[in-house]
Amino acid sequence: METRRRFIVTGGRLVLAGAAAVAAGPTVFTRSVAAAKELKVLQWSHFVPAYDKWFDPWAKEWGAKRGVEVTVDHVSFADVVPRATAEVAAQSGHDIHMFLGLASAFEEHVVDLSDVVATLEKKHGKPVELARRSTYNPFTRKQFALSDMWVPDPGNYHKKVWTDIGMPNGPVTYEDLSKAAPEVKKVAPQMQIPIGIGLSQDIDSNMAVCNILWCHGGSIQDKDGNVVLNSPETLKALEYTKRLYSVGMTPAVLSWNAASNNQAFNAQETSYILNSISAYRTAQDNKLPVVEHYFFTPALKGPTGIMLASEHVMSGYVVWKFSKNQDTAKEFLVALVDASRESTLGSKLYNFPSFFGAAADPGTPVAKRPQSGTAWVEKQCKQDPFGSNPPDKLMVLADSLKWSTNLGYPGSANPAEGEIFDTYVLTDMFAKAATGALSPKDAMTEASNRAKEIFTKWRAKKMVGGGKDR
Amino acid sequence: MLAPALAYILLLVALPFVAAVLLSLTNSSAGSLDVSFVGFRNFRAVVGNPVFKRALWNTFVFTFVSQVLVIAFGNILARALMRRFRGKTIARFLILMPWAAPISLATLGWLWIFDSTFSVINWVLKVVGYFGPGQWYYWLGDPTLGMVAIVTVHVWRMLPFSTVILIAGLSSIPAEVHEAADIDGAGTLSKAFYVTVPMMLPILSVALLFGVVFTFTDMSVVYLLTRGGPFNSTHVLASLAFQDGVLGGDVGRGAAIAIFLLPVLVVMAILTLRVSRRAEVA
Repeated sequence: METRRRFIVTGGRLVLAGAAAVAAGPTVFTRSVAAAKELKVLQWSHFVPAYDKWFDPWAKEWGAKRGVEVTVDHVSFADVVPRATAEVAAQSGHDIHMFLGLASAFEEHVVDLSDVVATLEKKHGKPVELARRSTYNPFTRKQFALSDMWVPDPGNYHKKVWTDIGMPNGPVTYEDLSKAAPEVKKVAPQMQIPIGIGLSQDIDSNMAVCNILWCHGGSIQDKDGNVVLNSPETLKALEYTKRLYSVGMTPAVLSWNAASNNQAFNAQETSYILNSISAYRTAQDNKLPVVEHYFFTPALKGPTGIMLASEHVMSGYVVWKFSKNQDTAKEFLVALVDASRESTLGSKLYNFPSFFGAAADPGTPVAKRPQSGTAWVEKQCKQDPFGSNPPDKLMVLADSLKWSTNLGYPGSANPAEGEIFDTYVLTDMFAKAATGALSPKDAMTEASNRAKEIFTKWRAKKMVGGGKDR
Repeated sequence: MLAPALAYILLLVALPFVAAVLLSLTNSSAGSLDVSFVGFRNFRAVVGNPVFKRALWNTFVFTFVSQVLVIAFGNILARALMRRFRGKTIARFLILMPWAAPISLATLGWLWIFDSTFSVINWVLKVVGYFGPGQWYYWLGDPTLGMVAIVTVHVWRMLPFSTVILIAGLSSIPAEVHEAADIDGAGTLSKAFYVTVPMMLPILSVALLFGVVFTFTDMSVVYLLTRGGPFNSTHVLASLAFQDGVLGGDVGRGAAIAIFLLPVLVVMAILTLRVSRRAEVA
């Protein structure tokens, strides 16, 4: 009897441990036994692996100086939200959770970080506007997350191919893409996809279609949170995409995942993609032949003259309400922003500081810190310390803040925008219109109805404003 | 004696099931523990959604087509493996490999095989001259080819289990029965329809029912291969429930989608129990 009971108890423990291990997913544990204070951080596996090599020891060292055992668990970008969902449901897990996009859906379960932002503003000046709009909910007036970095999303073009078609500086407008596509086919017939803009159910495609929509004057919501997707501007964006798809794209772009556009460009199977510099850094690291042809353009202009691109990544660190180490967590976040120079370099210029002032020259007065930090970042872009040839290859990024914006533009990020993003409402609309699965008007109507349904639901939870939907 | 089994059923089957039903009647979201009762609102919303209708249709197609193929190929393989030939042990081992391989790892391999740009199938077809200029199969970029890819991977994954079950069934038929049929002058087809199939029916039914239930509730292949794309055209109910409920954060809606699996699963469960009981009696 005793043996059987022991068997059941032991078995039960093993099952629980197994279930916990499975639930933990693909993580990297850097945990050690017993410490006076501890801090658990959930962090993504960075698209530029060099960043993780910087971050993990930096976090450990920060903790060691303060007698805090810091644990960093990495998950793939796709697991960030499911892990958050699981931890909220269990009301336990990490103290700090890093989101890549919109953390706003979890607002109710995170502590207000207004004090952290106030501390940082006193030290470094204000954060960039797109970071503020991604981490602050004006409707609930809560600073639900802290952004330490954002990532510009330039166009990547194949210099040789574009030179051969008479456009050595790459495209400037969206119209240039549709004009160039047939020419690219002529000069580079081996390229499978002349223009490689994703229209699939993935994060990069989501950003790409936002860019096209905004630059044609459309958006999901207006600045007050009213749904305005059903508009002549959206229709123009869809008609443009349909045209571009027919002259310069293939169904391959309907199936892309986050790595596909990188792979296609690095294999020289496409002449233009929308991506951060991570694909380029991969090509550099692997000494791929395409490296010499990699060049960058700022966001493209739409027929409206609007020239905007979504941030490629917007960090949003939250501190859970269930955390028992909230003060330590806040100190950690302040220190992380303070280390913006190191983190920018650690990511090989992939990360740009959300508080530019944190990258200022030492000793610069607070009032001048944002300017000084911006100048430092510009200097890095114009003289890439990571071996670009020519050294100013990343110069386009120097003024990327001017043409970058947040998800939710022209309003703030909110849970409704997040759900629309995560359930691919926009990419589906664009893909259906592009392929003729639905007419542009029907695709727009379908997506608009879905967007209104989602906004209505979140308004009922009093987390999103607006209500005068179109 | 029954306590562990009952505890298992209560904790891991009954409770999640009741929770799913309750959640489907609420406005529960991923980032919140506060829920309100909303009646059948989630069900009304999903029923009117074209993506849901497509996912429902796909679920049946996925289940039906893959099970027919699994049983057909399983039979062929099982019969082949019943014969004596050199390297039979290695062949059995290789056939069992897909069952043992982690699906995420295996699907990565298949992802490369079906990649719309770098598909190894396409490149082979190109090299052997099958493709003319501009011809290409966009396996994961086309709704029909996407479903073909999903079914292919699922069949590959389920085949070993089905084969093993069928080998067990075939082995259990006494040689004398076949010999008697031979003496009576039965041909190959007659023997198959009047001897082999009837004698294997219980085990065949169990394999089929298990396969149907497993396939009907599976989302891993869809999620890892197409993520429901292109434009949500290859979702099955389970993957759509995950997308809307976990990724999109609308837990109530996700639960409502998942609940639509219930009627089919109930029927399957009843059939499974009946067949098992019959097999027991036999």
